[in-house]
Amino acid sequence: MSLESKVRKALRDFPYEIKFEVRDGVVFLDGEVETYQEWVEIGLAVGRIKGVEGVVNRIRWKGYPKEELKRKEERRRKLYEENKDRIIGEYDVVIIGGGVTGTAIARELSKYRLKVALLEKATDVSVGASKANNGMIHPGVAPKRGTLKAKLNVRGNAMYDELARDLGVKFKRVGSLWLITPRTLQKYRRYLPGPFYKFVSAYIFPYLVKLKGMLNGVKGIRIIRGEGIWKLEPKATREAWAAVYVPSAGILDPYELVAALAENAIANGVEIHLETEVVGFIREGETIKGVVTNRGTFLARYVVNAAGVFADEIAELAGSREYTIHPRKGVILLFDKELEGWVNHCVTELRFPAPAHTKGGGINPTVHGNILWGPTAVEVPDKTDTSVHPEEIEEILERYREIYPDFPRHRIIRYFAGVRAPTFTEDFIIRPAKWVKNLLHVAGIQSPGLASAPAIAEYAVEQLRSMGLTLEPKPDFNPHREPIPRASEMSLEELDRRIKEDPRWGNIVCTCEMVSEAEIVEAIRRGARTLDAIRRRTRLGMGTCQGGYCTLRAAEILSRELGVPISQVVKENGGRLFNGTVRGEEP
Amino acid sequence: MAAAVKLAGKGYDVALIERKEELGGILDQCIHDGFGTKIFGKALSGPEFAGHFMDEASKLGLDVHLNTYVKSVNAGGDVKELVTVSPRGVERIKARSIVYAIGCRERHPFEIKVGGTRPAGIYTAGMVQRLVNLYGILPGKRVLIVGGGDVGMIVARHLYLEGVESITVVFPEEFFVGLPRNVQQCILDFNIPFRPRTVVKEIVGKERVEGVILVKVDENWRPIPSTEEFYPCDTVIFSVGLVPYAKKLRAIGAEIDPRTRGPVVNEFFESTVRGVFAAGNLVQIFDYVDDAVESAYIAADGVEKYLAGEGRLDNPVPFKPGSNVRTLTPHRLEWEDERPVVAFLRPAVEGRAWIIVRGGNGEILKKEFRQYVRPSTLERIEIPREAIDGAEEVYIDVAGV
Repeated sequence: MSLESKVRKALRDFPYEIKFEVRDGVVFLDGEVETYQEWVEIGLAVGRIKGVEGVVNRIRWKGYPKEELKRKEERRRKLYEENKDRIIGEYDVVIIGGGVTGTAIARELSKYRLKVALLEKATDVSVGASKANNGMIHPGVAPKRGTLKAKLNVRGNAMYDELARDLGVKFKRVGSLWLITPRTLQKYRRYLPGPFYKFVSAYIFPYLVKLKGMLNGVKGIRIIRGEGIWKLEPKATREAWAAVYVPSAGILDPYELVAALAENAIANGVEIHLETEVVGFIREGETIKGVVTNRGTFLARYVVNAAGVFADEIAELAGSREYTIHPRKGVILLFDKELEGWVNHCVTELRFPAPAHTKGGGINPTVHGNILWGPTAVEVPDKTDTSVHPEEIEEILERYREIYPDFPRHRIIRYFAGVRAPTFTEDFIIRPAKWVKNLLHVAGIQSPGLASAPAIAEYAVEQLRSMGLTLEPKPDFNPHREPIPRASEMSLEELDRRIKEDPRWGNIVCTCEMVSEAEIVEAIRRGARTLDAIRRRTRLGMGTCQGGYCTLRAAEILSRELGVPISQVVKENGGRLFNGTVRGEEP
Repeated sequence: MAAAVKLAGKGYDVALIERKEELGGILDQCIHDGFGTKIFGKALSGPEFAGHFMDEASKLGLDVHLNTYVKSVNAGGDVKELVTVSPRGVERIKARSIVYAIGCRERHPFEIKVGGTRPAGIYTAGMVQRLVNLYGILPGKRVLIVGGGDVGMIVARHLYLEGVESITVVFPEEFFVGLPRNVQQCILDFNIPFRPRTVVKEIVGKERVEGVILVKVDENWRPIPSTEEFYPCDTVIFSVGLVPYAKKLRAIGAEIDPRTRGPVVNEFFESTVRGVFAAGNLVQIFDYVDDAVESAYIAADGVEKYLAGEGRLDNPVPFKPGSNVRTLTPHRLEWEDERPVVAFLRPAVEGRAWIIVRGGNGEILKKEFRQYVRPSTLERIEIPREAIDGAEEVYIDVAGV
């Protein structure tokens, strides 16, 4: 059956007249539907078809933000015209996007004699999905066999010991524990009468999970039962019939990792341009000559599109729109550090099939001693929708209380949301663009994107080589990066010695997390320009009181170090910390 | 400061450790009046009130360590050791007894599950007070204040006088819960708009607050469906309660009362770790600074007894909150002493009431009439020792009239 007839067949399930066109394996959809959810479902139905390499979903739904997109486009065009003639420099590779993917590729490229620039539109790296995930380094059991995800996840996971050591990033292989309970195969209960249900759940299903993992190349998977489970997780539900234990699962602090990748890339010669937004491309025929931004044009021999949720828009601007991103929001709840020890592994309850809204979520410890619940998985039309609705908080609390019935759920100290960047084919898309010669797509990097990041970078650089980029190793590449020392973690002797050299080590600004002035100053020296950038690098304001005490003191330090009045200090991006008048100044 | 001054006055060798650059805690940002009505019989401003104790401290020549953070405390033995961190270095301080007076923290929006986004423009009331009074900067132009307690009202008046463009106060209760004088002087006198039975459901805005979604609530504070309303503003200030900053005490093994969220204490404000005392808002939230000072004086008396090795009761007498009592201190009677026991309790009801002290079998030990009690005002009652003599446990009830 041809791709066309398969697509036609898939579209028959929907009560709409959907037009489509297939070009080089990419399906373009057009038409109108009632709801956004249907827009997603149609895209997914087409994306599932074997042989489809991308789905560009141009279907409109009721409430499609036409006016808003028009305004956005006008603004972009204006910036393009204003800046296209101002040349900033000439680069071998320009990377678009400063998330974990972009910074990992930048660092990988910094091993070679190349001039590389990374462009990020925000005031810091890591501000998209990279800052708002649960920090889990997945073992690679979950992805479908044969996908790029499966391959890069397993490889990426294995690379983390060395990478984390080199970059001075905390990384712990805590292992994951997937519980099998009476709810695991609930959907199949009616086919499995009486004792069969428990038998299949406890004695057959775990082996299928193990087999799936083994086929993906994951090692060390064990199946445990009874006391074996509670020895690992003493407070987990006594309902568990069995558990799949995967020792290679790990955790790290995702924004610590991204900051470290960026710092190390810079140390090895990469330029990172913040507050630099791509607004178009200069092309000659099928070749990109320059990347136009709000600051001017970066001439480029190769361009890497690692723009996360915006990757489809960048692809469109570049002239090779081969996929549409359908943003998928994940909400996470964060619990007080005082609960450290309550949960020691990445724990979740297996459900087959997975319930729509909590796919992949669970309970994770963090490297700092907090505990996270979540994330959820909700399709949202707005790529920047990081709102958390009260109902979503309750939903998570309900969902996971079953596996930790006695958990002190009232000790939430924060919640947040990130937006994943899946395409409709749901696998990573890392390949040369089909209709532009020197553009590499690194798109659709959703979970397990963090776990795969080192392998994605390696794979992307291989792709660039196959596209003709010459990779000549740099003998003076330095893989090491020193972390910002933490007053809270060093020995008293070391702290005393540091204070004697620089008294700012003894000025404790954040009392919950014990962050000193010296750490804040060091974060600023390493490139932090906003309060949130400092928070992510030092853990200032990340504790029990959530910055109630230290925010103003940190703002004062930022103001002093950056040489701007305190009223101009920024929280993140365009958001000034204070918006009111200053005494003695004109309003 | 009050505990240190009192102990130094008794002739003890006292070190006073403060994390900030100067003494006085948050009193420096409280430029409104109303402090000291009980102790000095006049309404001082926060800095004036703090100034009194600062003068005393300097007269007595206290050993004051400013800018000093206490990293860890070994409170187990007879000699306690503190490890401090300051710009002077890491130091160890040995003491026979410790009084913790580290106050409280403000509850933040995540603790009341406010939804929406997390942009710039969200503050706690204390942060705003500090910003305006010490830095001379207004947080924003169009302000929504969440919370009908004293701090919220005081900040509302302040921002009104400083000239913000608009201001509204919302709270879930039927009416303001702070002191009546504040309702009159801060809200009614300036016609500041307020909306009772209203809470913030979600915050809207990507980089800066653009507004909030307000929702009406019923008498159980449950949101009423379809009463959501968008309220445009660029600033949301949360004044939704104070919580004793008890994590440092928990870290040394002191027992914490889930009701007050402060340490469990005996009648001399001694925690469950012997020789470690607690005073002020760390124990429970005092509505009057004067009461907080009294708790420090009592703790200082306790330190004196502890250092003198005075006798403890063979069988401590538990104090338990009875009917219509939300919180109660002390939690037990533990020392042999002559002085009356000072108890503080937070009523769960409003109106004319009797405060009744009774034994475990219901026998009434003491009764006091109050013209007007309410949940937002901490009640103080003195109980003579003779009244409790022989009781195995003590309950305190509030009975409406």
